[in-house]
Amino acid sequence: MATDPTISLKIRTALGEYLKRDPATILFTQHLRDDLGLDSMAVIELLYRIEEAFDLQIPDQDLVGLTSVGHVVRYVEKRLGKTASPAPAKKPAKQSKPKGNRKS
Amino acid sequence: MRARVVVTGLGVVSPIGIGVSEFWKAALSGQSGISAITSFDPFSTDGYRSKVAGQVRDFAVERFLDSAHGERVDRYAQFALVAAKEALADSGLQMAKEDPHRVGVIVGAGMGGMVMGEREITQLYQQQKPHRVHPNFIPVITLNSASGIIAMAYGAKGPNLTISTACSSSAHALGQALHCIREGRADVVITVGADASITPLVFAGFCSLRALSSKFNDHPEKASRPFDRLRDGFVMGEGSGTLILESAAHAKKRKARVYAEVAGYAATSEAYHMVIPREDGLEVAHTMRLALADAGVTPAQVDYINAHATSTTIGDAVEVRAIRQLFKSRADKIAISATKSLIGHTLGAAGAIGGIAAVLALHMGQIHPTANYDDPDPTCALAGLSRSAQERRVKVALLNAFGFGSNNAAVVFKQSTV
Repeated sequence: MATDPTISLKIRTALGEYLKRDPATILFTQHLRDDLGLDSMAVIELLYRIEEAFDLQIPDQDLVGLTSVGHVVRYVEKRLGKTASPAPAKKPAKQSKPKGNRKS
Repeated sequence: MRARVVVTGLGVVSPIGIGVSEFWKAALSGQSGISAITSFDPFSTDGYRSKVAGQVRDFAVERFLDSAHGERVDRYAQFALVAAKEALADSGLQMAKEDPHRVGVIVGAGMGGMVMGEREITQLYQQQKPHRVHPNFIPVITLNSASGIIAMAYGAKGPNLTISTACSSSAHALGQALHCIREGRADVVITVGADASITPLVFAGFCSLRALSSKFNDHPEKASRPFDRLRDGFVMGEGSGTLILESAAHAKKRKARVYAEVAGYAATSEAYHMVIPREDGLEVAHTMRLALADAGVTPAQVDYINAHATSTTIGDAVEVRAIRQLFKSRADKIAISATKSLIGHTLGAAGAIGGIAAVLALHMGQIHPTANYDDPDPTCALAGLSRSAQERRVKVALLNAFGFGSNNAAVVFKQSTV
C-alpha cells in the first residue's frame, strides 16, 4: 500500500528514538509488541509522542487497532486526511491491552 | 533471639561528590557543596529570597548505569539507583547467589519526583491540554518509584517500602530496615534515602515558609552554618545515600566486610506542630533515649552524634538543649558534626547520608568538620563541635533526624563485634 513518506518517516523516527535503533530497520509489517518488544505502557508512550508530532488526539477507542507499525502509519494518514475512522484491526487476537491491566 | 544487623555496603550521590571515597575526602576537608542555584534554568532566581543550594553537579544518569532503569524515573530516583549500585558493589553481594525474596528495598523520600511533577503541572495549567500530560507522570511522581525501580534493577523481591516523613524519611528507612531484618523478614535490605527537589515551586515554598538562609546569597559556601551565631535558615540540598543492611549471620556466612552494627532505633511524634519543634527539647531527648535503650547502650557510651542540625535558629538550639538534657556532663565530651554544613539539607536523603557519615566515623575513626562554625552561638555551643576534622575512636554513634509533621527519629550505630 502506498503511504505518505513523510508520515511514515516521522513515525519510524519516533519509534527508532524510543527503541534506540536505526529507523531504517523498522518495518511496516512489524508488530509493536511481538516484533518490537513494546509493552502496553511503551505503546502508550509511543502514541503520546505521535500525538505531539502530528498534533493529534487519539481517542481511547482507536488504540485497539494500533498494533503494528503499518497500522499506526495508516491511522495517522487517515486522521490527517480528516477521515477520523479507526484503524483496521486485522489481528484482534494479538492486540495488547492498552488500559486496565496495570496496578493502580 | 532477634537478629543482629550490620552495614556491609555504602553508596552516595551528594553535592560534594558522587561515590563514597570522593564524598568522604571532600567532607573531611570541610569542602562546601553549596553554590548559586543553576537548576532553575531558564527560570530566574531573581524573585527568590534565597538563591543558594547544594546541587549535585554534572549528573547524567547514563554515565553511571549500564541499564535503562534510570531513563523513565525522576532525578531523585536516578540518584537512588546510582547510590544503590555503588552500595551493592561495595557490599560484594551477588544477587544471583541470594534468595531474591529475602532481599528488600526500603527508601526514604520526602518530596519524590518533583522535577517532572512541576514541569507537567506548569504545562497543563499554561496550555490547558490535558491530553499532553505525559503518560509517565503518575508512575514518576508516585513516591515509591525509587524503591520500585531499585527492586526491578536488582530483582529484589523482598519487602519493598517507601517511608515519607519529610526530613527524617531515611532515618526511618534505616530503622524500618533494622526491624525488618531483626524480625527475620529479610536477610538484606537495600536502605536508601533520596530527594532532588531544588525546583522553582518547591524552593519557592520553602522560601515562603521563611525556612531558608537568605543572608549569604553572595557567599553561598557560608550559608549553611549549623550552631553558628549567624545562621539564618537551612540550605536546600539534593542527593542520595544507600546503606546495605544485612543480618550479621548472613554477612558472616558470605564473609562480607562489616562497617558497623545498626544497634538501635526510635521513632516518635511530638504531636505538636507541623513545622516547629517543641522548644523544650523533651521529645527529642526522649527519642534519643529510646534509641539508645533499644541498642542496649547508655548515654555515657556515646562517642559521636551526627546531628540533625539544619542551620535554623530554633532547630539547632532545641537539638543541643535535648542533647544536654540527656547526656548531661557527657554532652561536651561527645564529638558532634553537622553533615548539612557541607551539603545542605538533602531532605529525604539526609538521614541516609548522615548515617553514612556516622558509619564512616565508626569505621575510620574520623569525624568530618562542621563548616562555618565560626562564632559559636552560646545557646547551642557544644565542646565537641569543630570546624576541623577530628580523629577519634568511635565505638557508639548516634544519628538524629527530625521532620516536618512533628516527627523524630534516632538511630544508633556501634562498632561491630559480630
